[in-house]
Amino acid sequence: MNQIERFKAMVEMRFFDEACLEGVPTMEIHGELHTGIGQEAISAGLLGHLKNSDALVSTHRNHYHALIKGVNPYRLMSEIFEKKTGICQGFGGHMHPFSLKQNFSATGIVGQSLPVALGYAYAFKMRKEDSLAIGVIGDGAANHGTFHETLNIAGAWKLPLLVLVENNGYGISVPISKVLATETIAERAKSYSAWGKCVNGDDPDIVSEAVEEAVSHIRSNQGPAILEAVCNRFRGHYEGDTDHYRSKTEKQNMLKGDPITTYSKKLLSLKVLTENEIQNIFQTSKQKMFGLLKRVRGEKMPLPETALNYIFCEKTDG
Amino acid sequence: MANNDKIDRNLNGSEAIAEAIFQEMQQDENTILIGEDVGKCGGVFGASRNCFSEFGENRVRDMPISEMTFTGMGVGMAMSGLRPIIEIMFADFLGVCLEQIYNAIGKIHYMSGGAVKMPIVVKTAAGNIGSAAQHSQCLWGTLAHLPGLKIVVPSSLYDHKGLMASAIRSNDPVIFFEHKELLLKRARSFLSNPIVPQNTYTVPIGKAAKPRIGSDITLVTLSYSVELALKSAYEVAKEGIDVEIIDLRSLVPLDIETVLQSVRKTQRLLVVDEDYQSFGVSGEIITRVVENIDPTSLRQIKRHAVPDVPIPAALSLEQVVVPNYDSIKNMLIMMAKGP
Ligand SMILES: Cc1ncc(C[n+]2csc(CCOP(=O)(O)OP(=O)(O)O)c2C)c(N)n1
Repeated sequence: MNQIERFKAMVEMRFFDEACLEGVPTMEIHGELHTGIGQEAISAGLLGHLKNSDALVSTHRNHYHALIKGVNPYRLMSEIFEKKTGICQGFGGHMHPFSLKQNFSATGIVGQSLPVALGYAYAFKMRKEDSLAIGVIGDGAANHGTFHETLNIAGAWKLPLLVLVENNGYGISVPISKVLATETIAERAKSYSAWGKCVNGDDPDIVSEAVEEAVSHIRSNQGPAILEAVCNRFRGHYEGDTDHYRSKTEKQNMLKGDPITTYSKKLLSLKVLTENEIQNIFQTSKQKMFGLLKRVRGEKMPLPETALNYIFCEKTDG
Repeated sequence: MANNDKIDRNLNGSEAIAEAIFQEMQQDENTILIGEDVGKCGGVFGASRNCFSEFGENRVRDMPISEMTFTGMGVGMAMSGLRPIIEIMFADFLGVCLEQIYNAIGKIHYMSGGAVKMPIVVKTAAGNIGSAAQHSQCLWGTLAHLPGLKIVVPSSLYDHKGLMASAIRSNDPVIFFEHKELLLKRARSFLSNPIVPQNTYTVPIGKAAKPRIGSDITLVTLSYSVELALKSAYEVAKEGIDVEIIDLRSLVPLDIETVLQSVRKTQRLLVVDEDYQSFGVSGEIITRVVENIDPTSLRQIKRHAVPDVPIPAALSLEQVVVPNYDSIKNMLIMMAKGP
C-alpha cells in the first residue's frame, strides 16, 4: 500500500467523522457519539496488511476500524444515523456495528473487544486457517482484567491475535500516566511471551511498518502481538463532553500536531504529492463523505412495528 | 411544578447527590469515593463535583477502568473499617463487577454469621438516554433479585440528596440507581419535590412516597418514570381520571404496605417500570398485591415495562419499547375506560 493511499484513507476517515458530527445537534444521532478525529494515522497504517477473512473487534470509537476493514461507508453512516439502511438496520447504532462479511464487530463495553477477538483467533487456529484477529482497545481498556486474561491465553496457546492499543493518553478524563504501572503498555508483552512495540501513532508510515512486523510475527505462528500506537483524541470523549479536564494550552498544542497536516507536509517534501493533488484529495473526500451524508439523511428509520423482531432467531411462541 | 416559586437553588440530580456525598464525607473521614472519572472531572454526570478538591486524592480516587477489581477493593476497604462509595459509571457495566457484588458484598454479612459488615454504596447511572443496547439499561430488577443488597432508586430531587445520605450512613450495602435523565434535570423542571435544603438530612430507605393522591387508579413506579407518571396523571386529570402515584424509592426493602393501602382504595393497579418486564419489578409488585388482597376484589391489574427486548438504537424503535409519557397516558385512559 503506498503513501498516497494512506493519505487518502486518513482524509476520508476525517471527513466521514466530520459528516457524522452534523447529526448531533440535529438529534439525528440521538445518543452518544465518539469520533476518531485525530487518530486517523493508526487505521491508515493497517491498510494493506489485513485480509478480508481477518477479524477485527473494535470499541466505542470504531468508525475508522470499520472503514479500514472494508465495511461499506454508506451503510455504516446509515447505522450511525439510526437508519433502516444501516448495517444493523438501525438496531445497533454507532457503538454496536456488526458485519460478518468483513469479520468486523464492536462493543460499547470497555475491555470487552479482546476476549471476542481471542475467540476468533482460537477458531482460526483450530481450523488451521491463515487468518488473524485484531482486538482494538484504548489505553484505558488496557487496565481491564480482560487484557491480562486474553493475552495470557493467547500467549499460552500461541494464538494469532494482535492487540492494537490506540493510546490517546486518556480514558475519558483520567490521564493514563496516573493509572498505569509501567511506562508503556507494550512492555507488558514479555509477560505473555508476546511481541510488543510502542510507536508514534501520528505517522501512518511508522504504524504501517510496525503492523507489518507484528502481523508477520503472528502469521508465522509465533503467538500474539501488542502494538501500542500513541496518538491524541482531538475532541471530548464523546460529543457533548465539555472536556474541562484538559487545559487550553494542552489542547492547542495537541491540535498543532494534526496527523493529517503533518503527513501532508511529509508527502509534499518527499514529492509524493503536490500541493494541488493534496487539495484535490481533500475536496474529493469531502464531497464523497458529505455526499454520503446527504443520501443517508434521506433514508428512513426502521419501522416501529419491527422493534421486537430480532430478540431470537428461532420462533418462540408459547 | 407546584413548588416552582419556592425553588431558590435550581440544582440538578447530580448536584443534589454530590452535595450529599460532600456533606457525608465531611462528617466521616472513613467515607471514601472511588470510581472512574470521579476525581478532577467530578464524575461524568457531575455527581461528585467539588469532592476531589475538598478531600484530596486519597479519599476521592480516579480508578483505572478495572471495575471488577475496584469493586472487590471496596470489600477489603470495608473490612478494614472504611466506608467506600463505589461509582460504576453506567448500570450497564455492573456486569463486569457483578461477581464482587453478588458473591461478596451481598453475602459476607450473612456468611460471616453477622460478624462482618459491608457499609458500601455502589452508585450507578441507569436508564435510557438514547444510547442503545449497552448504555440504556436499568437492571434494578436484576440486582433486586439478589439477596443481601438494599436497592435504592430515587426520583424526586429532594430524595436524590436524602436517600444518598441514608445510603452512605447505612451499615448494609446499598446499590444506588441514579437515572441519567434525572441527574441532568434541573429543579425547575422537576414535577416531584424539587426542593433541596442545604443542610444535611436523610430520607429513610424503605418508605415509599406518594407524590400524587388520587382515587381511580394506583400507578406504582420508580425513578424517572415517576416524572412521566406525574405528567401523564396531570394530563388525564383533565378527562376526569384521578390517578394516585406511588414512588417506590427503594425495591429492597419494598414498602408494599403503601401500595396495598392505595390498591385497596382504587382497586386498579398499574405498574410502570423502565426495566425489562419479565421476572422483575412489575411481577413482584403484582404478586405481593394478589398475595395480600383478594384478587376478585380488584378491578384491573396491568403492567407496562420494556417488553424483554434490548434497547434499540433508532429513535423510531426506542419509542415503542421504552415506557414514555404518551404510552403511560394511553394505559391510564384505557384502564379508566375498563372495569
Ligand atoms: C466496562 C466499562 N467501563 C466504563 C465504561 C465507560 N467508558 C466508555 S469509554 C471509556 C474510556 C475508555 O478509554 P480508552 O480505552 O482509553 O479509549 P478511548 O475512549 O480513549 O478511545 C469509559 C470509561 C464502559 N463503556 N465500559
